[in-house]
Amino acid sequence: MSFKRFDAEDLVIASEAVSAPVWSTGDPILSTLFTSSTQPNLESGKFYYDVYQTGSTLENAAVQFSIAYGDLDGSGSAPYNPSVVGKSPSSTIYGQYRTLVLGDEETSFSFGGVNQEYFYAIAIDRDRFKESLLPASFNLTLKNTSNKTLKLTDNSAAVTTVSYNDAGRVYQVVSGSNGTPYTGVNANGYTGTSGSYGLFLPDVGVILLNGAALDISGTAEGVALGTTRGTTNAGNPGKLFQLINSGSSFQLNYKETVTSQFVFARVRNSEFNYSTNPSYITGSGDLRISSMLDTPQSYITTVGMYNDNNELVAVAKLSRPLLKDFTKEALIRIKLDF
Amino acid sequence: MGYLNNSVVTVDAILTKKGRELLARGDGSFRITQFALSDDEIDYTLYNTSHPSGSAYYGEAIEAMPLLEAFPDETQIMKYKLTTLPRGTARLPILATKSVVTLKQGQSEAITPQTLNYLGNNQTFETSGYTFTIADARVASAFQGVGINTEEANRLNNTTTLGTNVSKTVIGTSLNITATNVNTLFGTNTQLQTTLTIIGRDSGARVTIPVTITKVN
Repeated sequence: MSFKRFDAEDLVIASEAVSAPVWSTGDPILSTLFTSSTQPNLESGKFYYDVYQTGSTLENAAVQFSIAYGDLDGSGSAPYNPSVVGKSPSSTIYGQYRTLVLGDEETSFSFGGVNQEYFYAIAIDRDRFKESLLPASFNLTLKNTSNKTLKLTDNSAAVTTVSYNDAGRVYQVVSGSNGTPYTGVNANGYTGTSGSYGLFLPDVGVILLNGAALDISGTAEGVALGTTRGTTNAGNPGKLFQLINSGSSFQLNYKETVTSQFVFARVRNSEFNYSTNPSYITGSGDLRISSMLDTPQSYITTVGMYNDNNELVAVAKLSRPLLKDFTKEALIRIKLDF
Repeated sequence: MGYLNNSVVTVDAILTKKGRELLARGDGSFRITQFALSDDEIDYTLYNTSHPSGSAYYGEAIEAMPLLEAFPDETQIMKYKLTTLPRGTARLPILATKSVVTLKQGQSEAITPQTLNYLGNNQTFETSGYTFTIADARVASAFQGVGINTEEANRLNNTTTLGTNVSKTVIGTSLNITATNVNTLFGTNTQLQTTLTIIGRDSGARVTIPVTITKVN
């Protein structure tokens, strides 16, 4: 017989939390960033800029995240129709995130208790963040042309009670590192009057940055981002990109729960000692190697896992052949990830 | 397809195409209930009973072999199954069937394999039947397994390949095959050639035979 049934204890389901850098480079810190020179002129460029880990036209280029600008009044981008004031790509982005994050069209975005009318959204590419972002792994350095740097993180290490909104867990983006606020200026890591620097939304892979906080003068708590709120396309996402690119340090990890099925293939000494391999037998079925008549041997290279219909649903290969004979037993542990 | 690092014994596991299909179906048909072992890639002619260092080294050339990673195509892996037989067995199960299949366009033929040297019988039909796989489904206008009435067998019989150059697998105790009437498949040739692989679903015995279709019009 060629098939052996598993016992109930041979099949075990286990879950394991895995975390790793978000970036496709595999490095913890993304230090070199690129945008597409053509995207600002495309329709999508009115809404967001994609950011790559290498030149966007290169074969291995992959979107790492996108930067969008949202504005309650529709400022910062040209209106869809000049006769309809306030309806533009930036108001579309604002409404999109208001629905996603707040779930209420009457509510305004509040960053650390201060309502604001515009923000920048950093949306991590789905392939990068897998299941969720890992709080306290977020470290972003912004640097302006005057070499003023601002280091941002989430405040997950400082809060004892996690807050939730329509996008799941929510943490404030603050000045600091590794989830801990820098208390040298303000005890909570916020700005003095504009609230926190944004919202960190790990469950949807989005970081909202408070535009008003970043616009504060570089000599104070901000980096003088210079958001333009007019009725023409101002390319605001590009301005934030320049600060991130100059900062050369964007650190972020993801966390996902990998469900694994462990399969234990137990091979008794009396089992699987003969082979149907054509080099094992002659055309009439006789053993080709006479010494195996007394001491039959076979080599295991592959374990096939089947359902009740004898359909091969999973397969495992050993890294080297495993000798099997009547004096040997084998226990092969196979891990299937889903 | 890369080689596995054989400096340590590891296991590289993947779902097959069939496994992914059944998992996506979500009806419980993915459930793993049994396993089989194979020695794919092993060439037993490398087993050297004249090794000067003795019997412990007979399999030296085989045991040093670096193995390839697993293939997701379930028709390309688990080709040569290991079997459980009583110690002292001198003859292993083999399939007895036609050595070649030669058909004219439109001609039909029934193929009924038997298993030799199996379960103490010189010659027997396997209870679970046989798996028949034709490498190029286009050469057969009909390719039906008969004699096994299970859900899986019925589903395979009803699988359509839409005239594409893919393999087709059916299950049965017998196979009914009809050669294609489509002239354009021949191009400027007078014959089409492919292979038919038959596997005993209980014994794991396997045979591959050539199939030739001859143009008549």
